[in-house]
Amino acid sequence: MTEELRVVVERRPAGAILYTRGYINNVGGEEIANRAYELMDDNVRAILLNLRETKIVNSIGISILIEIIEKMMDKGGRISFCCLTPVIHKTFQIMGLANYATIFDSEDAALKELNLHNQ
Amino acid sequence: MTTTAERQMELTLPMVADIEIAAARAAGNLAREIGMSAEKIDEMAHAIIEACINAREHSCCVDNRIYLRFVGTLQGVGNPRVDIWITDHGRGFDLIEARTRRQKLGTAYKRGRGIQLMEAHMDEVEIITSAEGTTVHMVKLENAKAGNHD
Repeated sequence: MTEELRVVVERRPAGAILYTRGYINNVGGEEIANRAYELMDDNVRAILLNLRETKIVNSIGISILIEIIEKMMDKGGRISFCCLTPVIHKTFQIMGLANYATIFDSEDAALKELNLHNQ
Repeated sequence: MTTTAERQMELTLPMVADIEIAAARAAGNLAREIGMSAEKIDEMAHAIIEACINAREHSCCVDNRIYLRFVGTLQGVGNPRVDIWITDHGRGFDLIEARTRRQKLGTAYKRGRGIQLMEAHMDEVEIITSAEGTTVHMVKLENAKAGNHD
């Protein structure tokens, strides 16, 4: 039954990419938050969340994502998202998350805009 | 327009972590069998998840159960409709207060947006709540422009 979220962190010279796989609920949201806060503590100020392998989110998980965005904004950094399903994209807009974070259609577009390429 | 009930399902689920996923999958399977598109099923799944979470987190019911009923119908060719009832026997809640709270606090208030998500993802949402419990009735149509049979 449990759709445990897995998060893979990929560090880049100018930031980091978090790849999620699974359900972003309260537990999954906290898992993302833990990884993001570790990066922020390490002075990372650009984080891209690639949700390609996430098909379901709930309002509690999104509320945690908003907290991450707010914390990053306080530090002068930026959280972005890419590769959302249409329904997750719509859900992010309804929840107001899209007002504070940029949402990219593809990872390539995000990497280019955020200067997160490896070289 | 002729409407026929193609599929019906009733479930009683325990209020345990992630049980909303089981509910959403069951409804998705029923909707798929009557020809609903993947995107509409995905929207419906997210609404069911929010309704189940509300029941689990806020109802404070003694029996710790969520009662679900799904009915899939075909309204003519290529227009599946799924009716969903999600019931808990909890203490109910103040629907007006819940709606007012979300409007006042806006995006700065990060919780309590489940009803808003249900309404955005579904074609119809009706919530009946009292001290004896809450029932959320939601409708998902493949083609909303074709109307419904109520």
